[in-house]
Amino acid sequence: MRAGIGLRAVHHLEIVERGADVGWFEAHSENYFARGGQLPRVLGKIRERYPLSFHGVGLSIGSTDPLQRGHLTEIARLVRDFEPMFVSEHLSWGSVGGRFMNDLLPLPYTEEALRHMSDRVRQVQDFLGRQILIENVSSYLQFACSDIPEWDFLAALAHESGCALLLDVNNVYVNAMNHGFDACTYLNRIPRRAVQEIHLAGHSIRDVDGHTVRVDTHDGPVCDDVWVLYAAAIHRFGPVPTLIEWDSNIPALDVLAAEAHKANEVMETDRARAA
Amino acid sequence: MLALRELQTRFANALFEGAVEPVIAEIVARGAVSASERLEIYRNNLREGFIKALAITFPVIERLVGTDYFRQLALDYLRAHPSRSGNLDHVGAAFATFLRERFESTQYAYLPDVAELEWAHHQALIAPEATAITADVFRDLNAECLEQIRFELHPACSLLRSEYPILSIWRANQSDAEDEELIDLDAGGDTILVLRTPECVQLRRLPPGDFAVLEAFSHGLPLSAALEAGQAADATFDLGATLQRALALNVLVGLHGSDAPIPRISQ
Repeated sequence: MRAGIGLRAVHHLEIVERGADVGWFEAHSENYFARGGQLPRVLGKIRERYPLSFHGVGLSIGSTDPLQRGHLTEIARLVRDFEPMFVSEHLSWGSVGGRFMNDLLPLPYTEEALRHMSDRVRQVQDFLGRQILIENVSSYLQFACSDIPEWDFLAALAHESGCALLLDVNNVYVNAMNHGFDACTYLNRIPRRAVQEIHLAGHSIRDVDGHTVRVDTHDGPVCDDVWVLYAAAIHRFGPVPTLIEWDSNIPALDVLAAEAHKANEVMETDRARAA
Repeated sequence: MLALRELQTRFANALFEGAVEPVIAEIVARGAVSASERLEIYRNNLREGFIKALAITFPVIERLVGTDYFRQLALDYLRAHPSRSGNLDHVGAAFATFLRERFESTQYAYLPDVAELEWAHHQALIAPEATAITADVFRDLNAECLEQIRFELHPACSLLRSEYPILSIWRANQSDAEDEELIDLDAGGDTILVLRTPECVQLRRLPPGDFAVLEAFSHGLPLSAALEAGQAADATFDLGATLQRALALNVLVGLHGSDAPIPRISQ
């Protein structure tokens, strides 16, 4: 499948009127919770012509608060109305005690968190009546109590909950640089068949008191190092449906399509090498 | 080892209240970037994400008070009303109330009314669909029944009344507004209907009689009470003309009789 791009409102009209040279679109679930008006209409028109997936950013699946049934019901409605290819959420939490930080906060990687996360993923899958994909997030800190490597945590989560994985190659790279591990080790420890989707995005380099922290800002092109890591991921996992994310300083549709074409080339090169 | 619940609670307290110390020991400070600096990245994400979401919903307020002061207002609002939803679309729900508490009986008392208008506009964008009733439905009703019927407004509709010319303020602060127009705050108030057409959300200034009738409908009052409200608001009130205008705007979607509700017309 040819690479797709994240669906953003600034491009709606152009996509509906002229189409876009991409394989598929992924929508942030919360952006389409509208019950009526333009948004569901536009999304319906796009869905008629392209495969679509839903990517949630607000379910706070790793929180120790009860799951938000209302939020989940909205996702279920989207699933029913638009029959997406994938439904994904994050290996993260964003709320506790009823207060939401509306961010993708890292979990500690412990047995307790693994049990909790597996249980919550199962609850969501039962509610939606389908498998979901869980995505690894960028993080800017690690918890002292973590005693499982992130890659092993993800592999165990997939095994225990029956979810698939959405591997964000940029987030693997960002975390490898921020926390000092080998990104290839990460890829090699993720089971081949668990990865059903790959994300690529740009990140920023922030200077914190003269030291570098990489922050997942989705505000630019995918960097060269991440393209190299992506080639390694495609080699290991095969030509997995790939998506370009770009969420702020959003460029013209052509620029996004060109990024998606670069991903297509990586997949074609890998296929040619294997033949 | 800290239980997951406790760790999340301390982490949230650190981000919201700056209670950093109780969580610092839980964070690995690898290299020279300290635990508190790492935490600060997340505090910054929380603040900036919240301000951005609020600015998307209230662009006119942001323009009226300026970007810097809007940021300050948004951060004060964040402290008083942190997000209660995984959907950032909801963060502005209490912003008008917050502004009212702050600016009531000041020279900026129009700000909360403008915020209410922006919130109604935002709600209209995402409200459910409903099919408008047409003049045909009146044919089968006898005069007795007519007095007691109650109309339901389209879910995208809101009615707003302000002592200030908030519709003029809203229009003058749209990105496509023409020349800067000076607005006289004492020019008189506005009675506004927010509605959604298939193409867009519209804000319309209503004559006082029309506003009173739709307001009565929105409170679930029967036609007889709406008629009284219309007459009280406007000496030259004409119910037939008002209903015709409301039907033409497609804002009436439900019709209920005096006892059993007449089913809503389906698509």
